[in-house]
Amino acid sequence: MALTDTSPLIAPDADAGEAAVPAIDVRALSHRYASTAGEVVALEGADLRVEAGEFVSIVGPSGCGKTTLLRAVAGLLAATGGEVRVLGGAPEQAQREHAIGLVTQDPGLLPWRSVEANVRLPLEVTGATADVPALLERVGIARFARYRPGQLSGGMRQRVALARALAHRPRLLLMDEPFGALDELSREDLRLELLALWERERIAVLFVTHAIHEAVLLSDRVVVMSGSPGRIVADIAIDLPRPRTDALTSTPRFVALAAEVRGALRSGAGSAGARS
Amino acid sequence: MTREVSDLPDLHPGVSRDAATPRDSLIVSLLPVLVFAAILGGWEAWVRLAQVKRYLLPPPSAVVIALVEEPMRYIDAAVTSLSAAIGGLLFATVGAFALGVVMAHSRALERALYPPALLLKVMPIVAVYPLFLIWFGFGIWPRVLIAALITFFPVLVNTVIGLRSIDPAAHDFLRALHASRSQIFWRLRLPSSLPYLFAALRICVPLSLVGAVVAEFLSGASGMGQLILVANGDFDTPALFGAVIVLAGLGVSLTVGVSYVERRVLDWHDSYRGT
Ligand SMILES: Nc1ncnc2c1ncn2[C@@H]1O[C@H](COP(=O)(O)OP(=O)(O)O)[C@@H](O)[C@H]1O
Ligand SMILES: [Mg+2]
Repeated sequence: MALTDTSPLIAPDADAGEAAVPAIDVRALSHRYASTAGEVVALEGADLRVEAGEFVSIVGPSGCGKTTLLRAVAGLLAATGGEVRVLGGAPEQAQREHAIGLVTQDPGLLPWRSVEANVRLPLEVTGATADVPALLERVGIARFARYRPGQLSGGMRQRVALARALAHRPRLLLMDEPFGALDELSREDLRLELLALWERERIAVLFVTHAIHEAVLLSDRVVVMSGSPGRIVADIAIDLPRPRTDALTSTPRFVALAAEVRGALRSGAGSAGARS
Repeated sequence: MTREVSDLPDLHPGVSRDAATPRDSLIVSLLPVLVFAAILGGWEAWVRLAQVKRYLLPPPSAVVIALVEEPMRYIDAAVTSLSAAIGGLLFATVGAFALGVVMAHSRALERALYPPALLLKVMPIVAVYPLFLIWFGFGIWPRVLIAALITFFPVLVNTVIGLRSIDPAAHDFLRALHASRSQIFWRLRLPSSLPYLFAALRICVPLSLVGAVVAEFLSGASGMGQLILVANGDFDTPALFGAVIVLAGLGVSLTVGVSYVERRVLDWHDSYRGT
């Protein structure tokens, strides 16, 4: 895989004047779902800031509102309370500027399109241009360019989803448990590739995961949420040096940080009386 | 990608078909032919030995003779009925798909347009056909309309369901890119609806033939319906059996045609992916 290629794939236009504008600025965000079984308070008073070029993970038990928060940031859901600003404007504005790339657990690829045509989809929609073969090469799926998603393994499909999310050069990448459905080995591979990719591109990433280890290895900050009602209970800075590799995971500092995240998860879960 | 053409349900779900040796599979594929031959042979023998009256039950050989003695009688009628059926099916598909696009566009439009569409479905064609005859004369058009009427509703319902059956994750991805409604329609909704459209077509092929034949039957217009009517009047039972065989053949070939197009268009779909 062409991870040795160091030229940035994403145009580094997030510089100078924009450096001060946070990629995500969420204030007092609340959301209630009205369902037939009554109201569900999915989020209550969440504050979250992600700087330009920062990698932030959200960990928390199932149902604590991680997806709700991410969808509000993506402009896919109008939260019932609070404020969301993305790259200095409303989420819809960020959508209009084609500044958002989205990867979800179910990759949502178009089964009738080849891998390459799937990656071209955002280019068709936005009118942007990209070196698609180079992009496929970069995420390790060049060999499969002509395959259909149905012919690929889950890990390969997520690589396609990642390439598709990056094709139009977004300034903010939103990932909702992107590796959640994968086996541990594919997961490890993809995690390290994402790490290498991000350390070169340095775009802002909001990454939702269940895996503490994964969050600590990838992130600049880990935000811990707890459920019922969903809220943010801890915000832990990960001061591990970069570039990071898998070898880091056995260092005392890594182990200590992972323990800190786990502790925050447990105490949050304890107060809320729910755990995944 | 090799796969079975058969649409028959698997009668032995526990038994893997792939496990059969080539010799076994030859026997398995010959078996229906043998069973069929045994039935025809038994039928022929019984009718001859018991001296069953020909107008009650002709022997298979008499049916074959009826078919080969006057091939043009059947071919002309089949072409006429087939034209009405295919014409009706085409009109219904285009019209129902267009209306389905409108109805899938908004729930309000769906609610507004559904009752009149349902009215089309519950309307007894036997009752409206005389009206069509008055309005459109005795040509092929009334029959095309009957075939269209009978197939319209299944296509409409499946189109609306299909256009709504999009992958939510793909939809989210496109929305996050601020994709327009028409971009989402052409790139996501339309392809997603095709498996549903083809499912409707497979249901509608036999329906359209029934519509055409019933219309010919009612008006005595040319075609398989008229052939049946005349044969019935003459107590020409071999010709009646011949008509049944020809109609079955038409239904099967139309279905095979639709399946062929479907397999080409939907080669990406789960139900056609090679294993
Ligand atoms: N569309 C919905 N309607 C009603 N309740 C919902 C809906 N989506 C999510 N919820 C509820 O909101 C809470 C938070 O959900 P979600 O944001 O998906 O959590 P997470 O991604 O952390 O697992 C859960 O209790 C869930 O059941
Ligand atoms: Mg979730």
